[in-house]
Amino acid sequence: MMVNQVVVPEVGLGHEVAVGSPTTPSRSREYKATNKHAEGKSPVYAVVFNFLDVRYHDVFATACGPRVSTYRCLTNGKFALLQRYLADDETESFYTVSWACDTDGTPLLVAAGKSGVIRIINCATEKIHKTLVGHGKAINEIKAQALKPSLIISASKDESIRLWNVHTGIFILCFAGNEGHRNEVLSVDFHPSDIYRFASCGMDNTVRIWSMKEFWPYIEKSYSWTDNPSKFPTKYVQFPVMVAAVHSNYVDCTRWLGDFILSKSVENEILLWEPIIKEESPGESRVDVLQKYPVADCNIWFIKFSCDFHFNQLAIGNREGKVYVWEVQASPPVLITRLSNPQLKSPIRQTAVSFDGSTILAGSDDGNIWRWDEVDHPTVPSVGRKGKQTMTES
Amino acid sequence: MEDAPSTASIPSASCRSLHCCHFLRRPSLCWHPSRAWLGGDALPSPGAVAAPCSLLGSAMLSEGGNESNYVLCVIDSLKKKVTADRYICIKKRIEENSIKLSPITQHSYDLSKVRQNCTTNSTELVLNLLTRRRDDALCAVNSLDVSPAESEGGSCQDECSSTVVLGGNLAAKNVVRPIKLPEVPKLPPYTTWTFLDRNQRMSEDQSVLGRRRIYYDTSCGEALICSDSEDEAVEDEEEKKEFKDSEDCIIRMTIQECGMSDAVLETLARDIERTPVDIKARYEILQGEKPECSFKKAYELDVKVEDVYCDKDLDAALDSFDNLFCRRCLVFDCKLHGCSQDLVFPTEKQPPWGMDDGTPCGIHCHKLVSKPDATMAIDSHLLVDVEEPTHSSDNARNQIGSNKKRLGSSGQKTKSQQSESSSTARVSSESSESEVHPISNKSPQQSPSLSKAKIGPKGGIKKSTNRRIAERILMSVKKGQREMASSDSNSIVNGCLWPRDMKLRSDTRNGIKDSVASSQYNTPSTRSSRKKVVLQIENNSSFADGQSDSMEETNNEHSATDGCDSSRKEECVDENICRQEDHGRSWKLIEQGLLLKGLEIFGKNSCLIARNLLGGMKTCTDVSQYMNYVENSSASGALSGVDSLVKGYIKGNELRTRSRFVRRRGRVRRLKYTWKSAGYHFIRKRITERKDQPCRQYTPCGCQSACGKQCSCLTNGTCCEKYCGCPKMCKNRFRGCHCAKSQCRSRQCPCFAADRECDPDVCRNCWVGCGDGTLGVPNQRGDNYECRNMKLLLKQQQRVLLGRSDVSGWGAFLKNSVCKHEYLGEYTGELISHKEADKRGKIYDRENSSFLFNLNNEYVLDAYRMGDKLKFANHSPDPNCYAKVIMVAGDHRVGIFAKERISAGEELFYDYRYEPDRAPAWARKPEASGTKDEGQPSTGRAKKLAH
Repeated sequence: MMVNQVVVPEVGLGHEVAVGSPTTPSRSREYKATNKHAEGKSPVYAVVFNFLDVRYHDVFATACGPRVSTYRCLTNGKFALLQRYLADDETESFYTVSWACDTDGTPLLVAAGKSGVIRIINCATEKIHKTLVGHGKAINEIKAQALKPSLIISASKDESIRLWNVHTGIFILCFAGNEGHRNEVLSVDFHPSDIYRFASCGMDNTVRIWSMKEFWPYIEKSYSWTDNPSKFPTKYVQFPVMVAAVHSNYVDCTRWLGDFILSKSVENEILLWEPIIKEESPGESRVDVLQKYPVADCNIWFIKFSCDFHFNQLAIGNREGKVYVWEVQASPPVLITRLSNPQLKSPIRQTAVSFDGSTILAGSDDGNIWRWDEVDHPTVPSVGRKGKQTMTES
Repeated sequence: MEDAPSTASIPSASCRSLHCCHFLRRPSLCWHPSRAWLGGDALPSPGAVAAPCSLLGSAMLSEGGNESNYVLCVIDSLKKKVTADRYICIKKRIEENSIKLSPITQHSYDLSKVRQNCTTNSTELVLNLLTRRRDDALCAVNSLDVSPAESEGGSCQDECSSTVVLGGNLAAKNVVRPIKLPEVPKLPPYTTWTFLDRNQRMSEDQSVLGRRRIYYDTSCGEALICSDSEDEAVEDEEEKKEFKDSEDCIIRMTIQECGMSDAVLETLARDIERTPVDIKARYEILQGEKPECSFKKAYELDVKVEDVYCDKDLDAALDSFDNLFCRRCLVFDCKLHGCSQDLVFPTEKQPPWGMDDGTPCGIHCHKLVSKPDATMAIDSHLLVDVEEPTHSSDNARNQIGSNKKRLGSSGQKTKSQQSESSSTARVSSESSESEVHPISNKSPQQSPSLSKAKIGPKGGIKKSTNRRIAERILMSVKKGQREMASSDSNSIVNGCLWPRDMKLRSDTRNGIKDSVASSQYNTPSTRSSRKKVVLQIENNSSFADGQSDSMEETNNEHSATDGCDSSRKEECVDENICRQEDHGRSWKLIEQGLLLKGLEIFGKNSCLIARNLLGGMKTCTDVSQYMNYVENSSASGALSGVDSLVKGYIKGNELRTRSRFVRRRGRVRRLKYTWKSAGYHFIRKRITERKDQPCRQYTPCGCQSACGKQCSCLTNGTCCEKYCGCPKMCKNRFRGCHCAKSQCRSRQCPCFAADRECDPDVCRNCWVGCGDGTLGVPNQRGDNYECRNMKLLLKQQQRVLLGRSDVSGWGAFLKNSVCKHEYLGEYTGELISHKEADKRGKIYDRENSSFLFNLNNEYVLDAYRMGDKLKFANHSPDPNCYAKVIMVAGDHRVGIFAKERISAGEELFYDYRYEPDRAPAWARKPEASGTKDEGQPSTGRAKKLAH
């Protein structure tokens, strides 16, 4: 019987959580504001670097109202606008944008929002590649599978999570139903190494971990599907492998950190916890909350954090326009710095940390994109950062 | 940073009492390690932890210090140790995770490099605009780099106040023209739902989450909690706090340090928030566990080993079956009726499977063995009888009895055994009198283990009869043997396998007979030893049988040296004693359990039992022998628990078969359908009364006799159904219809009138042909009109299409045209309680969606997340469909029917029939607007109703 129980973390003696201090930044890295760019009138809900292709590590995409743009972060602190896409539908408001790749490696941009329509843009040709219709309500987040970037997953207000193949435009799996989310799904994230696994979270206060292992044949099948995509035998996955209630309010962002999960709720905190999943006996699954990263004034929903490519730094904005940068893998967590600017007062919905963490971008509700660059950082972005973390890139 | 030792030093330094000195000596054991524990810098703020203790310590100190003060310190330091350990553990785990993570990121980095290469190759011909623009941008920067001053930014780390001079951007606006993304028609908003072809009970987690559901109201921009606070309070109380490892550790260490006194316990109790009694009990448990730990482990290991060898009994093995199997749907893990249903044991059992065509079920079939076997037994008894006929007659009768029973159940004879069986039959007929009163037959001196009260006056008379029977048997058996021998010689000529087996068996048998005979004559033995010999012989034959193939040669030898080699035979017999002793034991608990079930299902048909239940474990011969063994060993009185159970079944089964036969005869008479039967009246009454009340949920009753006042169905106001335990003549049963030509489509059909579908198990004349008739029409029963009142059961629904409604959002459309009153489909959803429905209704009302449907007094259907396409049919005051709750095989289901003729492609509407006070605006004032979206959300929880 596959009935999951909601897993609640144990509390009390022996289950303490290592809490980072939000008031004493270590200042192990110093940043200065270098740019502010007015993207539009509506809130910038998404800012994201392209980590999928080494050529575009300094290219990022933004979503602002009906507009999706791609920029390049220049080393002198400037932005160079590369492409701009505008939805014909005036009422469209993009909530999320994500980089993906076609099977041949063509850079794709996937954007979706209020209308629930997913638009896949081929950045190499600047043409629309596919339009995926199916979600019944707004889409809150889209992620591409880093190991197989032609697979994307979308989290929607219609309480479902859907897996799509951008190459063929096929709707492969739907994660909803019996033990699916009970309210809007706000965030999803693929496991970095386990290709079958992903986590989702939403307004039902839970984080659910799903496995598509037994449905993998359908994913394989979707690549060779030549018939009408609507005829594809889409499967419903109704049972997650774990339902964790680590928060007691909306959970609006979740990211894997290795086998651990970082999740943020509107309770002014990000938690790092370990899901201990017993797939044979779901009743024995546990969660262990390890660390807490307090973030002040962060009690509105739809504020998302981001990490650099190597998960060393985590940046999160708050309601007051401040950005907290945490050293995410230190125990107890260490606040690196707090970024702010007198001109920046409106909530920051999304941040983006560049490949090496030397540049931090933030999209704010007043339609601006802010940029901070590390002081004394070598100008070439692809050079390893200083600090204790050793990097083996060229 | 304040650490524990300094805290500890306060009381220790100032207390001068004997008592304090006492603890001064001991704490060093504890605190030295604690210094080490706190030595690390893993603690974020250990001072915070230590502070209350030191305060408390000094407060206590002012009162002169006491034990609780000291205990607190001990507890505190222990707690600190636990906490420190935890932080070290967290750190370690994060480091480990970090080590695991770096190859992962490295791998994805490699992938991203590969992608770069593969696209440069593949898109060489096609221009990659993103790359081009990216490179263009760099060129532009280089050319524009003359004015680098603008990149001057203020140092705005933290609270910096300087205004930032922000760098400009490459004014690409005129260069980059926005690319239009074409407008795509949106879908009407809906919540993703999964298709259900039948109703499902809701999953359990929802009730948990239901408590804390928060609804974000976009219009007001606020979060509203839709949950009942009372629920939470109740569930919190129910939660039994268990002792955690860390608490155990503290309890044990503290008591070890400070001794077990009331003060210590009380302080501990206060600290861990429990009662001192609990803590004392827990400590005792912990103490108990400690020394036994190794012993316990070893013991557990033993148990495990035994488990591996399958020593579970059947009940344990069947536990999950009982829990998960749905007796109503005949599937495991039924979503409709849920797990752990109450088990209902029907009073009327099916007669055991009587199918027996007489052919042996395989090479191990008892039919190939049983006859010679029985002869053997009788044979040996008779030999004994020569000496002491009075005693042995009992044994003989037992044997005969069992033999007869076996014959009775199998009821067939193979040719070569005819002579024997005829003789046995004769014997049986002779002894039929004694069969009728089996117990009174036992003479006192024979069966001391049996209750003496049963000794009948006929005992004396019987003796003579018995002797007569015995003599007859002797004669007939001898004749049989002679015939057998002749058939043996024939079979040798034939040389085929089967007769050869027979021959071998008879050869051995002869040998044994001889040996027994000789032993009997040689050693005048007591009764018990004779009995043993009987068993030996019986067993010996089986032994020989089992090995007949492999031991062909030896057996031949045996037969050759037959009679002369009696000593060797006796050895053989000895071996068999051991085997006999094993006999009962070699039947594992689970096998015995299966046998019991088999007896229940098939009666004493060892072929079917062995094949269906004990496949791969026991052969048919094993089964029949075991049954005989159990049956016969009644006199010895040395049966184990399960054996006696088996015996009980064997005996009881016969009684039951007989009584069932009687009952069945009666039933035919009583079940004759009359319109005035009580059941029908009851239903009629309910139909007329019901109108405004919701239907009542049916739960099968477990009544073992005709349902009386305490019957759960009766008190609940439902009819008994075929799933109830009660006998079929129960007055509360719904008897179904026996409509002839009306096809059960009008209220003249009692089923139709009671809003029920016909049930082919219950209704007399309802039938449905399958296929289009090309394969031949089935035998016509009653009249040749198919029943039209089984469409939900048979899922004979119309094709419904989902499309944009003409009215609002989605709508359901009909693919083909239908006639009036045609069944269109089922409205399915999650089965939820009314309470849960009210909770959900709060949320749904805000979204202005309405997928709740009142099913009966217990359940509401919620099609919000799960349902079929008909859930999208919209409301209309002038609809073309209607919904009806129908009882189908014990469950209420909602069918949607055509109210009029509907042509193909028409949108389906039905009247939601909301209760007037709860109806949302769009349903209340249908004239003003037909759309769902225009109405104001109402505060009530509206649920749809059937007609």
